[in-house]
Amino acid sequence: MRMKKFINDPKHLVPELLEGFALAFPDKVRLNGTSTIVRATPKASGKVRLVTLGGSGHEPGLSGFVGRGMLDASVAGEIFAAPGAVKCIEAIRNACTGGESALLIVLNHAGDVLAANIAMQAAEREGLNVKMVLTQEDISSPEGDRRGLVGCVGVYKVAGAAAEKGAPLDACFEVAQRMERNMRTLAVAMRTATHPATGQPIFELGDDEIEIGMGQHGEAGTGRMKLKTADETADIMLEKLLADLKVTEGEGLLVLLNGAGATTLMELYLIFRRVAQVLQARKIKLVRSAIGEFITTQEQAGFQMMIARMDKELIELWDAPADTPSFARL
Amino acid sequence: MFAEAAGRIRREQELLSELDCVGGDGDHGAAMLRTMDMLECAMTQDCHETLNARLKDAGWSVLSVDGGASSAILGTFIAGMGDAVMGHESDCTHLALSFAAGLRAVEKQTKAKPGDKTMMDALVPAVQAFATAANSGESIAHAMEYASDAARKGAEATKGMIAKYGRARYLGEKTRGSADAGATSIALLFRGFSAALKQDEET
Repeated sequence: MRMKKFINDPKHLVPELLEGFALAFPDKVRLNGTSTIVRATPKASGKVRLVTLGGSGHEPGLSGFVGRGMLDASVAGEIFAAPGAVKCIEAIRNACTGGESALLIVLNHAGDVLAANIAMQAAEREGLNVKMVLTQEDISSPEGDRRGLVGCVGVYKVAGAAAEKGAPLDACFEVAQRMERNMRTLAVAMRTATHPATGQPIFELGDDEIEIGMGQHGEAGTGRMKLKTADETADIMLEKLLADLKVTEGEGLLVLLNGAGATTLMELYLIFRRVAQVLQARKIKLVRSAIGEFITTQEQAGFQMMIARMDKELIELWDAPADTPSFARL
Repeated sequence: MFAEAAGRIRREQELLSELDCVGGDGDHGAAMLRTMDMLECAMTQDCHETLNARLKDAGWSVLSVDGGASSAILGTFIAGMGDAVMGHESDCTHLALSFAAGLRAVEKQTKAKPGDKTMMDALVPAVQAFATAANSGESIAHAMEYASDAARKGAEATKGMIAKYGRARYLGEKTRGSADAGATSIALLFRGFSAALKQDEET
């Protein structure tokens, strides 16, 4: 697959994309330094700040979730590469300037975790009040070392709402962890994407194949199979997710479908229809839903299916107002 | 010394990226290029009084590069070196202590060991070989040659391994058969150090 994108010099890709993004949403975000996106209007003082970090190339994630009700800062790295630890330390320091506390939300990927750990060590040395939450909900990776996928958006939302309400750091941390523990994601890939800096396809997949269990950067999973219908695909994925999360009759779920970049909303609606049917048949309550592109992988065809067991408080936090470029509710 | 290492890595950028395609997304060469640019720049700054300070600063400069795990590990190693070095950089024993300090700093950040198919497969043997040579009273250039050799062998050995760390760790058998990109970079780094020191000796 040859790369065909609207792009300038790949060396300046990340600064240019962040510049464009900040210019497009000046009422919500601004660019701090070379590659940290922060809220245009800082949160009221005393409230817990939410910081995240991760590679670029997954737009709108992660910086698209900076704004009222969700993140305060997002440190962006190069395409698919974690940002340097120094920038992460600076973002945390800046978040805590008024003596505030911060919650660092990190997706489980090698580079991200290394940078985050170094940043947390520095934060500790400097006496800053920071706690870290690691998201690791991808059921296709081995337990104990699961990849963080689109589930982080759920954590940003509920912890962000708690922080906006004025909850202290421990409470925000607890809510974040509760969401993290109760969410599971599974990805399916249908067609590769090209890496914008190298121009190369990210992975190989046969014309008539799909792979269930693909990582966020096209890492091969183990569920390679011939193309299935929307219903069959939804059945396979939902079954695995429900089993892994041990969902029982009567429980309430949030279901989020995250398009990888090239899969149409049309297809996601078909998938969702089947999910809703299965849940009804199993007497599991579909309490909330979200469909869209939250964390993409360039022009990859495929999607992630995320389910989260929601209690009354998590639902309230999910429903709370938010105003970010990529997730908003009144 | 760093300029020579940087040059080698620049020349092999495509190879490094190709190796990274097996288990990663093919950008290791580009990441190392950014890392080496930063490192070379930091090491040639004149403003530091001691080698300690220069290494610490260089290490932290590397930690500001967006190079994922690669720059995080390398930056930690170099900054860690700055914790131990005393005196002149051409003192073999002190450089050995410095390398050891760098490695200790890295070991605080990762549990990866030789055999896991990572940078550690080249870094650990290199540091150990240098230390052994230094203890035997070898010159700095000779010790670096042993280190470079050990790093090269370590990187070669990763061909037969399955990745246990990094994003390749989910791929199992698919990762066997080609060398780890990170270990290859480390081997190139030490090869560069060695070549530069040999040149110095000869002039």
